[in-house]
Amino acid sequence: MNNKKKILKPLLHASIAACVASMSGYLSANEQTPIKIGMMLPFSGVYAGLGEAARNGLKQALKENQNTISGRPIEFIEMDTEAKPARAPEITSSLVDNQKADFIVGPVHSGVAMGMIKSIKGKDSIMIIPNAGANAATGAFCQPNVFRTSFSSWQTAYPMGKEAFDMGYKKVVTMSWNYGFGKESLAAFNESFTSAGGEVVKKILVPFPKTEFQSYLTEIASIKPDAVFVFFAGGGAVKFVKDYDAMGLKGKIPLLGSGFLTEGTTKAQGPASEGVITTLHYADSLDNAKNTTFRQQYQEQYGKPADLFSVQGYDAGQLIIDAVTATKGNTADKDALIKQMEQLEIDSPRGAFKFSKAHNPIQNVYLRKVVDGQNTVMKIAQQNLEDPARGCKL
Amino acid sequence: MDSSFYLVQLLNAVQYGLLLFLIASGLTLVFGVMGILNLAHGSMYMIGAYLAYYFTFLTDNFFLAFLISGAIALIIGFIIERFLIIHLYKRDHLDQVLLTVGLIFVFNAIQSFVWGNDPLGVEVPSLLSGSIKLTDIIEYPVYRLFISGVCIVVAVGMYLIINRTKLGMMIRAGESDRNMVENLGVDISKLFTIVFAIGVLLSALAGIVSAPIVSLVPGMGEHVLISCFVVVVIGGLGSIKGAFVAALIVGLVDTFASVLLPEISSMSIYLLMALILLVKPQGLFKN
Amino acid sequence: MSVFSNKSEKLFIYIFFGIALFIPLFLNDNTFYINKIASIIILAIFVMSLDYLVGRTGLITLGHAMFYGLGGYIFTILAPEYEAVNFWLYTFYVMTASGFVALIVGLIVLRTNGIYMIMITLALAQMTFYYFADSVDYGGLDGLFIYVKPETSIFGLNFLDLDNETHFYYLCLLSLFNCFIFFKVIMNSSFGRIIDALKENPDRATALGYNIFQFRLIAYVIASSLASYAGYLFALQYGFVNPTMMSWDVSATALVMSLLGGLGTIYGAILGSFVYEGLHYTIEHLTEYWMFFMGSLIIALVLTLKNGLAGFLNSFSRGKSDE
Repeated sequence: MNNKKKILKPLLHASIAACVASMSGYLSANEQTPIKIGMMLPFSGVYAGLGEAARNGLKQALKENQNTISGRPIEFIEMDTEAKPARAPEITSSLVDNQKADFIVGPVHSGVAMGMIKSIKGKDSIMIIPNAGANAATGAFCQPNVFRTSFSSWQTAYPMGKEAFDMGYKKVVTMSWNYGFGKESLAAFNESFTSAGGEVVKKILVPFPKTEFQSYLTEIASIKPDAVFVFFAGGGAVKFVKDYDAMGLKGKIPLLGSGFLTEGTTKAQGPASEGVITTLHYADSLDNAKNTTFRQQYQEQYGKPADLFSVQGYDAGQLIIDAVTATKGNTADKDALIKQMEQLEIDSPRGAFKFSKAHNPIQNVYLRKVVDGQNTVMKIAQQNLEDPARGCKL
Repeated sequence: MDSSFYLVQLLNAVQYGLLLFLIASGLTLVFGVMGILNLAHGSMYMIGAYLAYYFTFLTDNFFLAFLISGAIALIIGFIIERFLIIHLYKRDHLDQVLLTVGLIFVFNAIQSFVWGNDPLGVEVPSLLSGSIKLTDIIEYPVYRLFISGVCIVVAVGMYLIINRTKLGMMIRAGESDRNMVENLGVDISKLFTIVFAIGVLLSALAGIVSAPIVSLVPGMGEHVLISCFVVVVIGGLGSIKGAFVAALIVGLVDTFASVLLPEISSMSIYLLMALILLVKPQGLFKN
Repeated sequence: MSVFSNKSEKLFIYIFFGIALFIPLFLNDNTFYINKIASIIILAIFVMSLDYLVGRTGLITLGHAMFYGLGGYIFTILAPEYEAVNFWLYTFYVMTASGFVALIVGLIVLRTNGIYMIMITLALAQMTFYYFADSVDYGGLDGLFIYVKPETSIFGLNFLDLDNETHFYYLCLLSLFNCFIFFKVIMNSSFGRIIDALKENPDRATALGYNIFQFRLIAYVIASSLASYAGYLFALQYGFVNPTMMSWDVSATALVMSLLGGLGTIYGAILGSFVYEGLHYTIEHLTEYWMFFMGSLIIALVLTLKNGLAGFLNSFSRGKSDE
């Protein structure tokens, strides 16, 4: 009898002590220790502007929440990917293994995304993609700990196929750079355009990142299609639209594209961009309360207008805030966080959206036209469009 | 494809080829006379383009920017030769490669520091911003004709200088036999400085004149450099005539391959180079 | 006869491998740092092969990265997607295949000399870059993934797990060591002496009846195969290949590392790689314009320290060496 007591009492004391210790450890860990948000974005190179916009959006969301979530402060860790896929595994490893980041927001570039996804598989960090639109990220390579607050390339190009046919175009030439995102966009357009009854008479793939389009434009002119559908972004988009005009094709052969053709490029494109029709899940001129407030505050904070990339970064921030608030500040249990994230509805400037099972936004895609240098929304091309997530096992 | 397609593509090809010649001529001139392979030649193209951007922005006048940028390029060429290249004359090829690679790194850093990494563009000057109607659909931008014009003027100018002036005579003599030229009392060091500065100017000029039709991005110099190498290797190192012919051939192959053989279009000029080398390892017009 | 040419080399090799052998024990399973050092070791193998080509054989190439990329790609293409193949067998395949490519490339490229060779090797590397970048089957610009790493059994004995970062590290270190010994053996052989003679005075060597072309071709094939081996290790480390492995700046950077360490010294490749990467890592955190610093350093080195760091170190032991 005494022997039992001799063992039980200390055991009881020890267990209580352990409970108290772990609870206080838990409490203190989760009240004082910062929530680590790593940013894997391009801060140098051709995509630097997009990286910066995503970061600005992310930080604005956190700032609106007083830079804390459930009482815990935020710690940002920035790493420059230079938009180089070869750096992805090393940087991901640094953020996940070395820095033990809770969330990693990134990347911009689809090639970097693929490298990241492979490295983050099964790890104790949650990746939120604020831009990279490669279908596979929420398709064949989808992961429980990977979310996306941007789009899939399919979503931005698929709706245009039907629209183009409805506008009366039967024979179209498609053109883009010869890399993953470009090819995916053209394939998505092809899918809906041909099933509506149209014909893609020629697909032109330009070596990336070549922006010398003369010979291709000459070819298009000799084919004389009803319309042209392209994917180009950034500097390439600026050049393409201007060259299209200079070669005399504008006004004679209508130009269609996925939204990136005219995102942030209309000023540089000048009058050449007037009348270009695109599809995208956002437009600066979207008329809803959230967008108006968001754009106003962004302009005040950063001195320049918000764009698609800042919206997506902002939504990544909102996602983190809502999820961690739902788990009352607990970031140790990643599965619980993921469960919350899957159920959340994000109040985005683009319109509220939820995530598909593959963790990609189910969102509206708008048909826009450039009028007076602004992408004006003509109609909703597709409501609540869900990416088919081909190959995803979630 | 109708005949207008081929004619316009020919026009595209010639314009591209002439621009390549402008750049390649500088490289081959410097090598022919001085024996120096300047890997930073592409960086000069980039600097020219960014200077044109900067001064067009500043003065709102492209033609003024053209002149100012050209003058600055000459000065840069002078400085590089006097302070750096001058040490390479008695050294081997490897040292040339390494030093000029170092220069590439330095110029890329300067470009990034001064102008940042976002793609930049220059407006086509309004005087030249129109297009000429060629067929019922196709128009051809006047500015591209202007580029071809500039290249032709430079080519003719180079021909005249090399064949009709004393400087040209020294250049030709220096290409054949450097020591002899020195023995004849020519101030070799002054000749070298002039030639190098001209080489830099030619490359920068190509950059300046291309600025309104390309996207100014980091790395634009190296891309152009490699095409330049192909031209010079095919034409024969040191031969300006060779560079002219080779540039036009490369322009033709690149332009037509891009539309007729798209799967191998990027590789086409390298395949061409390899083929020519199998038959003529020293290029078409080796001196 | 000693393997080492002089005391500095001997000292460096002992110190380097001594530290490298035990450092994982001090890193406490911090996989990030173990991987980082392993990747520099892989780079050192690549640079060493380039150093042999440029520094000892006298063949200046700006397209060496072509073989680095090919090493990774050949493995990824040959190996079945979801099966663990044998590491040693595939090392043989990769090096043989790339050796074959090197033979063909060498036949084209070695007929030229000096300046031409520089430009042609660069252009051919670019061509290979575009071949993979524009390809439909080989991943294009996004590259390809390796899903299953090879297993390392020999006659049924399996002792290295390539998924374990520390094991992989030791494999790389062992490879570097073997590479170093291999080059030393070649250099001290009669083949090596002929190569030295060819570099010193090609005309004399020809007059003596040696077929320069053949010897250079052999050296080119050897160096290129080793560069491919390095690329193969790189691909295995993160399970990923990408056309940028073949871009001109990889070749140029390797040349710079070789210069930093001392051209032609072979062990300088190790020194140069670590110094370069070390500088890169530290300066990158101070300023984003580290390229300016590196470029200026290169220019300064070319103009002053003709023989790089190893040359500088070697000069301390001159007079006591076997050289």
